[in-house]
Amino acid sequence: MVVHELLAPAGDLERLKIAILYGADAVYIGGPSLGLRANASNFTLEEIKEGVMFAHKYHKKVHVTVNIALHNKEIDGLLDYLKALEKCEVDAIIVSDPTIMQLALKNTNLDVHVSTQASTLNIEAVNFFEKLGVKRIVLGRETSYEEIKSIIDNTNVEIECFIHGAMCAGYSGRCVLSNFLTARDANRGGCSQICRWDFNLLDQKQNKLVGDKDFTFCIKDLSMLKYIPKMIDMGISSFKIEGRMRSIYYIATVVSIYRQVIDKYLSDKNNYRYDLELEKILTNCANRDSIPQFFDGNYDESVQYYNGRVEVSNQDFLGLVLDYQDGIVTLEQRNYFKPNDQVEIFGPNMQTISLTISEIYDEEGHLLDAARHPRQIIKFKLREKVEPLSMMRIKR
Amino acid sequence: MKLLESLYNLDNINDAADGYIIGIEDLSINFKNYPLSELKEISLLCQKNNKELFVSLNKNMHNQDLAYLKEALLLIDTLDIKGVLYYDVAVVNLHNTLKLKTPLVWAQEHFTTNYQTMDFWYQYGAKYSFVSAELTLDEVLTINSKTKANLIVPIFGYLPMFASKRNLVKNYLKTFKIKDDSTLNYMEKEGKIYPVIDNKDGVVVYSSHILNGLREMLILKEAGVSYVYLNTFLIDDMREIIKLYQDANKTNALSFEKCIDEMLEGNTDKGFLYKETVYKVK
Repeated sequence: MVVHELLAPAGDLERLKIAILYGADAVYIGGPSLGLRANASNFTLEEIKEGVMFAHKYHKKVHVTVNIALHNKEIDGLLDYLKALEKCEVDAIIVSDPTIMQLALKNTNLDVHVSTQASTLNIEAVNFFEKLGVKRIVLGRETSYEEIKSIIDNTNVEIECFIHGAMCAGYSGRCVLSNFLTARDANRGGCSQICRWDFNLLDQKQNKLVGDKDFTFCIKDLSMLKYIPKMIDMGISSFKIEGRMRSIYYIATVVSIYRQVIDKYLSDKNNYRYDLELEKILTNCANRDSIPQFFDGNYDESVQYYNGRVEVSNQDFLGLVLDYQDGIVTLEQRNYFKPNDQVEIFGPNMQTISLTISEIYDEEGHLLDAARHPRQIIKFKLREKVEPLSMMRIKR
Repeated sequence: MKLLESLYNLDNINDAADGYIIGIEDLSINFKNYPLSELKEISLLCQKNNKELFVSLNKNMHNQDLAYLKEALLLIDTLDIKGVLYYDVAVVNLHNTLKLKTPLVWAQEHFTTNYQTMDFWYQYGAKYSFVSAELTLDEVLTINSKTKANLIVPIFGYLPMFASKRNLVKNYLKTFKIKDDSTLNYMEKEGKIYPVIDNKDGVVVYSSHILNGLREMLILKEAGVSYVYLNTFLIDDMREIIKLYQDANKTNALSFEKCIDEMLEGNTDKGFLYKETVYKVK
């Protein structure tokens, strides 16, 4: 029977814990080296160990990215690094270079997952990696429903697909714009997102082609919320959320919403109904247009963004619950709010609570007319019990 | 050392190159593509002129491409083809399943960055590796000293730096209702101009400058590198340039290189041969 894993990104220990608590079945993280987010706050080996212990306590898994374009100088320390990950009891590594795959398969007990960087798009490539002994393949993001289905029907390896988040404009691994324009190596964790820059587009005679907005490669985000039932039925093993550099609020929101949809569908397929409210929360959180991309076979002009659009920074996340005692919530402020605001508190293992903010106080018990300061400690009364690490957001 | 170039014009088969790389329509990007039906004729032409011929099947393959890919591989195996460049692992799997004899060329553009992985692919039939253009000269020399594979090192021409399945240029033109029949476009940023092609295979983008590594070619030659590759895309004076590369020696290298630079109006550079890209921003 296929298990449908919800796989979340985690840029650090805090986000790993949030992802697990909010419903992820597994998280993927970057280690101290050889991952593709060189400039993120990646995990040390000690932190990986702690993260794995935390995840395993909840019977969840941790996958570590080792999907860099390997250079000569990294070869010598490679096996030691893989052994260290094994010692941390990491469940799987995500790899694009076959040298790393082979080394891990021969010398460690780590499961090997083929990274989307390998752009696996067809059954012959899947067969190659299957023979090599990998457990799972993350398909290239250019695959359609029919292609994924056909691959799943003809292989024994697990298939993982992206379901949410930002998209590369090009084939993964086949873009080195960042190398050329900023000397930062895209395939070694230094991507500077040139695809979001604006350019002048010129014709063959190098005359400028003038549109209402500048030319850019910028692609809308991916969202597969509507298609989750279809993806479950076709036998996809793992649903991957993009975004190791995203905030705790983003991770909590996206994970909890996909968790709800997966669970609702699996618990009663016949009576499952798509919930527009969940889509609305997800849209507000991601703050960018999102579409199913290649899944429905449509990748025309509607997939692109052009500069000049307004990108309002998301201020929905009002605060993180630190404590609840004797009917008082202690919360760390993240965005401005004030009495009489309509808000919601959502969290792991709880129904979302809607409320109107009444009186709010600072840490010393002074009455406030608004919560103005980032990270300010705020207290207010609430009848319903809430757990630490729950989050408060604007009700829209 | 042998000099390979992309073959944009069949009339050039008698130029100073030792061999050519061509692509096959619907199965290749970043090379001049020819219909599969013309491959036999081109192969015979190369044979007649005593030139080596490599064929690129380096597109990202989807399931729907596999039948045609198989047909191409089977045909190639009957011809005098020196090697088949691949990006997609499907080529390797088919090559091994069909027990084909034509050697493969590992040509995963930006991933061909270390000797160990070249040796990995070697055991699957990749007797050649087309080296990433994002490596430094030192890295290439180290690879050459340690790998079993014969290297093909890009040494001249515009360098591919982006490939997408999406028609990103055509999408823009359509969105803003701009009429443009160009088969080639350019992107401009801060005075640098990057060639762009948008066709049925999607979009590819090239570097703004033309790599001109004539002097480095001599260093690679001395180190025993098997091949260098000259990309003739958008280069008018290629016959003359390939002749200069072929005739270069320690005495004339600097003047030849300068001569080429002048022919190309100064739009040349050394790519990444001396510039290591940053991995982690400090």
